[in-house]
Amino acid sequence: MAERHVGGLWCHEVLEHLDAFVDGTLQPEPLASVRDHVAECSECASFGAAYARLVTALRTSPEAALGEARLQRLTARLAQVD
Amino acid sequence: MSDTAAERALLCRAAAGDREAFDAFVHTTAPSVWTVLRRLTATESSAEDALQETFISAWRGASSFRPDGNARSWLYGIARRQAARTWRRRAGEPLDSEPLSELADRAGWGADPESIASRAEDRAVLLHAISTLSDADQLVLTRCDLEGDTPTELAQELDIAPGTLRVRLHRARLRLMAALKSEVTHG
Repeated sequence: MAERHVGGLWCHEVLEHLDAFVDGTLQPEPLASVRDHVAECSECASFGAAYARLVTALRTSPEAALGEARLQRLTARLAQVD
Repeated sequence: MSDTAAERALLCRAAAGDREAFDAFVHTTAPSVWTVLRRLTATESSAEDALQETFISAWRGASSFRPDGNARSWLYGIARRQAARTWRRRAGEPLDSEPLSELADRAGWGADPESIASRAEDRAVLLHAISTLSDADQLVLTRCDLEGDTPTELAQELDIAPGTLRVRLHRARLRLMAALKSEVTHG
């Protein structure tokens, strides 16, 4: 991607902060710079938005239950143990 | 008899060699042990291996259970040790050296990240894409994003620096985006 220098940061520097930005753990000073950058850089803004949607999708996925088949495999395995 | 007392009684009978009592103990406790193990392991197959080893270990070690103890706490202790065996192998793996910007390029940086995000919201596609990643990537994504543990908590369990864990998580997310991009391209 063509790098841009906006808001005091290069695109690759925004990329390094992206996880903390999305997770809400970025310190105030870099946070202001990242916000300034993405306000002007549409590519970083759209990539950051996609990254955030991915994290949201991950965090809303339900967990699979044990299930009868897995329980049967467990009891079959235990039956082989002395 | 309370559930706790009933489980203790079953385990005490198992300690004396009563296989039927142990089978009943397995059926009562396996669903919750499974939930614990899915939180502590990267993949379903790792969790299932750990589940089987947990109960094999419980059967063989039932005589070490103190009759006045809590059967479930004792069992969860075994489960945690079995889960630990699955991730100790991975904790020492070195970080990959691919520059972050190149990794991001593969993940759709500067291209069409919207379509990747849309794919991520299809649960079946998302889980399939996760399954194509390395065990190490699956571990951090499962624990920190699917299960909601903090990077600091997981870093402590793995005995690595929190900053290193956060870098691993960031890279794992980008590789997941790259895997989803690949599905958009080829799917």
